[in-house]
This record gives sequence, C-alpha cells and structure tokens, in this order.
Amino acid sequence: MLSPNKILIRNNVNIIGSGETTLILAHGFGCDQNMWRFLTPELSKHFTVVLFDYVGSGASDISQYSPQRYQNLEGYADDVIEICHALELTKAIFIGHSVSSIIGGIVATKQPSLIAKLVMVCPSPCFLNIPPDYRGGFEEEDLLELLNLMDKNYIGWANYLAPLVIGNAHSDELVGELSGSFCSTDPIIAKNFAAATFLSDHRDLLKNIQQPSLVFQSRNDALAAISVGEFVANEIPNSSLEIISADGHCLHMTHSDKIIGSILNYAQPQ
Amino acid sequence: MTDHNSVRHATHHSADRFPNGALITNASRTIIYVNAYFTTELLWQTTDIIGKNLDVLFTKPSSIFFQSYIVPTLSHERMCEEMQLTIFNANGKRIPITVNATVKENGCIYWSFFNSSKRDQLYDELIKAREKLTEALEKVNILASLDDLTGLLNRREMKHKSAHAIEKAASQGQTVTLLLLDIDHFKKINDSYGHLEGDRVLMALGTLLKKSIEQQNNMEKMGLVSRFGGEEFLILLTNITEADALSFCNRLHRSMADIVVGGAPLKASIGVSTLTPGMTFEALFTQADGAMYQAKERGRDRTEIFTSA
Repeated sequence: MLSPNKILIRNNVNIIGSGETTLILAHGFGCDQNMWRFLTPELSKHFTVVLFDYVGSGASDISQYSPQRYQNLEGYADDVIEICHALELTKAIFIGHSVSSIIGGIVATKQPSLIAKLVMVCPSPCFLNIPPDYRGGFEEEDLLELLNLMDKNYIGWANYLAPLVIGNAHSDELVGELSGSFCSTDPIIAKNFAAATFLSDHRDLLKNIQQPSLVFQSRNDALAAISVGEFVANEIPNSSLEIISADGHCLHMTHSDKIIGSILNYAQPQ
Repeated sequence: MTDHNSVRHATHHSADRFPNGALITNASRTIIYVNAYFTTELLWQTTDIIGKNLDVLFTKPSSIFFQSYIVPTLSHERMCEEMQLTIFNANGKRIPITVNATVKENGCIYWSFFNSSKRDQLYDELIKAREKLTEALEKVNILASLDDLTGLLNRREMKHKSAHAIEKAASQGQTVTLLLLDIDHFKKINDSYGHLEGDRVLMALGTLLKKSIEQQNNMEKMGLVSRFGGEEFLILLTNITEADALSFCNRLHRSMADIVVGGAPLKASIGVSTLTPGMTFEALFTQADGAMYQAKERGRDRTEIFTSA
C-alpha cells in the first residue's frame, strides 16, 4: 500500500477549480486526463475537479505498473479508491468515459460512500455479443483481431493513437487536433489495458449500482450501439439516458457543448 | 522513342500489372480508383467498391484501428508505412495486408496494399514466442528470487531489494531497521531429529515471519523478509522506531515458542541495527550481525541492539 502522496504521484493527480462538490474525471482507453480539456474550463468554475491518469497512461508513474494488478478493471478501480482515500474524498461525482464508466461502477459498488452520482460517457459493460439477447457489437474473433493488430503494429501505435474512436464524420483537422492529445504509452501496457477493457463482461455489475447515474449515448458509435446505452440505463436502477445526435465514441471531445449543460445540471446538489 | 511509342509503352506499364493493390481515396475517404489487383486477386467488382467508403474493405477491428491510428497518423505525418490491417475479399475471406499510404496536395490519399499472409504467420509466431518468454521469465524470476524451502526472498534478492529500500527510505527521511534472526542450536536440531525435521522448522518459521511482516505492513511502513543463510533470517523494516522494533522482536520470540521441536519451544537470537546517514546495506548488515552474536554470547533467546560503544 502506497502513502497518499505516492498515490497522487502514481496517478498524476491534478486538482483544479473549487466548489463544495468534487468531480472525478476518469479518462478512457488510449488517452489521458488531457481528453477532458473541452469540459474542464466550465466545470472548474462550479466544482472542484480531480483529474488523473491510470497507471501506464499519460504522465502516471509507469514504474508502478503491475501486470497482475491491472489484468482486469478491478485493479484500475482500486487505483480510484486509493485516490479518493488519499484526497479524503467522499460523495464525489464520478464522470467516466467509456471503460471508465464501468470502472466508476466498480468503485461505486465496492465503496458506495465514495461516490454520490455517476456520469457515464459512452459506456459499454461488455463489447462481446452474447447470444441470445445481448449485442455488445463485436464477435470474439473481432476483439481478438483488434488486440492482434495492436501487437502487429507494435512499433508506433501506442505513441499515436487517437482517442478510440472519434468517428468517421469528423474532419481531418479535428482528428489531428484530438489525436495530438494522445498520451504516449508503453504498447504492452496499452494492450493489457485493451484486453481488460474489451474482453471483460460487467453486465451483472450494473443492477448493483445504487447511485443515480446519467448515461450519455452517441447516436452513431462504432464501439457501442444505442442498444448498449439503453441496456446500461435499463439495468442501473436509478438512471437516465441521454442520446446525443452525434457520430463517434468521444462525445466529451467532439460534442462537449452538447453534454456540458446536462452535466452541470446533474452535478449540482439537489 | 516516338510519342506514339511512349503512349503504348505507358499503357503497357499500367498500374494494373503490379502484383499489389493500388487504391486512391478522395478527401472524404471515398474510393475513387482501384487497380486490377482488386478484381483479379480480391475478386471485387469495381462497382462494389468505387464510390464507397474505404471501410467497405476493412474488417471491423481494422476500421477501428484505421480510424484511431492511421487517420491521425496521416493527418500529422501526411504518410504512413507498413501498417498491418485485415481486409475482406469479395467472398468475405479475411486477408492480412500491409499498407503504405501518402496524402497528396489535392487531399487524395494514395494507398498500396500488400498481401502479408506469410509475414502474418511469422508475427503470430513471434507474438506467441514473446508470450511464452514473458511467462517463462516470470517463473525464472520467481525461482531466482525466492528461497526454495521457505518461499521467502533469497539472499541475492534480499540484498538487491534492501539496497533499493535503503535508498528510497533515505530520500524520504524514513528510518531503516535491520533484524538478523538466527535459530538457537539449529545444528543440534538437525543432528538429533534429522534434516527433514530441520526443514520443517525452517518452513514453519518462514511462515511465521511472513505473517508478522504482513501484519506490520501498512500505508507508511514496509517490510522485507528473507532466508539469508542456513538458519539465518534477515528482516528489513522501514519507518519504525527502535522501541517498535524491539516490541516486534519480542512478539517474534513469543510466537516462535509455538513451534515445538523435540518437545521444546523454538528459540532464536536477534540482532538489530538502525541505518545512519550514508550507510550501505553491507555496513548495516555487519552491525546487525555483530548485535546477533552479542545476543548469542549473552545467553541466546534474546534480542540485542547494535551500539557503537
């Protein structure tokens, strides 16, 4: 167990803004805390905002990486729990992109006192199609091929990955600008994170989330169909779903203007 | 060469004769040209692909990889080389390919596709070999760093880890305390009850020490425990006062008594030494060793703290 100070260094924790309520912003796969830059100027006017990088991403302390700890999402959730303890946070609002929505769900069920509300941006509890009823969008063969492509393009890909997945409809300029935020990371670590992300099935977790949850779903998302967003919202007892007319898996980067209002409303103490 | 000849020459050398795919997409990534390779080797009808988005050729993971990696690369570098993807032929067969692409001033992207089935097999072999090696290396690391009998750190690993812990604790202004524990009359145990009984005692003590250290470890404190030699166990504790180190040793003396050999409780002599600035692991160990011998001389079954007097 690391000391609070070491935990804050390990995950490159940064705190901006001030406010009674604290927001924890958790980035998705293939990115770092920089991906929140379209939301933070507004959010930090009203809230205390905690930003961090998962171990192996961004400016985290890569020497703290452990293949055992991070072989599944629970290891990443433990990082978040440790950050909350290090900052003595309780009743924070957790905003997670993609896989981090699920990591937030794990934290919320493991230590409910830490999280008051969840905001999920393009979540998917399971990317696999599981017959007969669940369609995560991918056959196992597809996901294994995706991991395999990461291996085959080993040299370079982890240093040059745009946030998965911006979407087809955006201009090259936007893609270029967004991909400029990509964090250079170790390809092995990134691949392990990808395996933990894409091969896990956390559908059963959702019904145990007691906290109010706001789910943002993109109308056209190559990684999570609308049905996935609907599934998440149906399973979480106290949740609402907002479908955004948008293309891509990174609403907080490509359509920050469309979700910021809802987040501000939702995060205000009732 | 006449003009007429050079025209015929150019036709004769058309892109359709190349044994690789050549394809052009416009700025919105719509396919506007393919060479004959796509029809002869990949069996597509040109009408199936011309005017379509490039995604029509890619498997789903390749589309994701294309969007997340190749598009940003092209946008930053204006070219990419040796990217590996998978495409479908017209019959839905997956074909591994290597792609080079370059963006021209008109916004069009010129793509070369090379079938890389053989190279793909080689990659698969390499990836499997790497996975096997990683696994084997992990096993070897464990074997090389742990004592076979007790499962504690062995001498070499303890030295390595201790030096690292000393450096870290020193930089954070924390104390480092070394405990050298030597079982009393261990030779007699081996001689009287046999080596198997000796091994059982070492294993039982190893388990006990591991448990004690685990109880000791928390947010701020860190402990290492090793079998340093035959019946010698070395323990390193950080961020602990001398008084706490002493009560830790006293607890060890008490709990060791539960290990019974030939009807008698197991006993040990412990030497304690605390790091002073600039000290190496070797110097710290020498002090703990001196204190342990003092404990032996003073009647065994006790703890002595090193003093420079």
